[in-house]
Amino acid sequence: MHVPDGFLSPQITVPAWGAAAPLWVWAVRRTFGASATEMLPAVGTLTALAFVVQSILIPVPGGTSAHLVGVAVLALVYGPLASFACESLVLLVQAVFFGAGGFTVLGVNALAMGLLGPGAAWLVHRALRRFSERAAAFAGAWVGLQISTLAISLVLGLQNRLSSHYLPVPFPVVATAMMLPSLTVVGVVEGLYTLFTLSLLRKAKLLAAP
Amino acid sequence: MPLPEPRRSQALLAAWAVLVFALSAVTDLRALAVAGGAALLLFRRGAPRALRRAAIAVLPVAVGLSLASWLWLLLVAGAPPPAGPFLSLTARSAVIAFATFSVLERVRLLRALAPFPTLGRLLVLTLAQIHALRLLATESALGLRSRLPRKPGTLDVVRNAGAVTAALFTLSARNARDIADAMRSRGFR
Repeated sequence: MHVPDGFLSPQITVPAWGAAAPLWVWAVRRTFGASATEMLPAVGTLTALAFVVQSILIPVPGGTSAHLVGVAVLALVYGPLASFACESLVLLVQAVFFGAGGFTVLGVNALAMGLLGPGAAWLVHRALRRFSERAAAFAGAWVGLQISTLAISLVLGLQNRLSSHYLPVPFPVVATAMMLPSLTVVGVVEGLYTLFTLSLLRKAKLLAAP
Repeated sequence: MPLPEPRRSQALLAAWAVLVFALSAVTDLRALAVAGGAALLLFRRGAPRALRRAAIAVLPVAVGLSLASWLWLLLVAGAPPPAGPFLSLTARSAVIAFATFSVLERVRLLRALAPFPTLGRLLVLTLAQIHALRLLATESALGLRSRLPRKPGTLDVVRNAGAVTAALFTLSARNARDIADAMRSRGFR
């Protein structure tokens, strides 16, 4: 889902870095504490967890496969700030160790996939969990993924609006290419995965009851 | 005279960061061709491998979106749009990806992070944990395949992913506790 390098100009990527950098520091300190012995192991292991979950490929109808995003689970269990810190580090590791995603677009990807989507998932889950915990988990993950995808589509649309010579891909094409699979298949898979994971964590009494 | 490590890796990383931001602003096809040529000349050792990786990473997305957009603009405007911007989008992404893969192969990243010990420790810890947790995820996927008489379907894999994530949560919480204890016993605060 994330934007690769070269699709967004510094007009967008530099302000996004500027907005994300202080948020990273704040999110890590706020969630995990300032001391190295508290912060490093927690961030490291949760980032590894998010990274490994994202490498799980799910076969989808049509002979292709999609990968899980998995940050909604992290947001529902540990809160949106933890998921933002860990997803940002996942994106950094993917960019500098595996050359996936991108370095210039790290701020944009982190804000969309790590903050807006998981934040929306957390809010939806909190709003709906008094009616049904399972429905809230599914809806939270589904909405979170749509918000992340929509945010990425809007940023690409903004780039096209700023300079169609730079990114000649119009918003309707981006939105269709990204939102259609997200609304129909990937969102449902993400919702089911989040539902199963939270159910198992609750059954094993690893998660506090709401 | 070549710079000693970790100065060399640090200089290369800093140059790469500036270069990719600068390249991400370029739209002129000739400038991109010159940048691509210069990058090929500069990073000629290992170039075929980096080119292959860049093509796999960039071409499906860039070409797919370009073709869809070209058709859309043709339908909306009734005339074929100019090919220049599409070519420059693909070239820009490809040159950045090639430079990134080439630089990352030449950089000793963890040594370059020596002036930032917290970030260095965090990356080491994360990479070690990725390795540990990945083993569990791989074994679980192989176990699922061996248990089923048919190829696992979407729902099978999603259920299994849920189960393995629950196990990963437990394992990562335990590992975090163990690492924190080990760090405290070695004098970290």
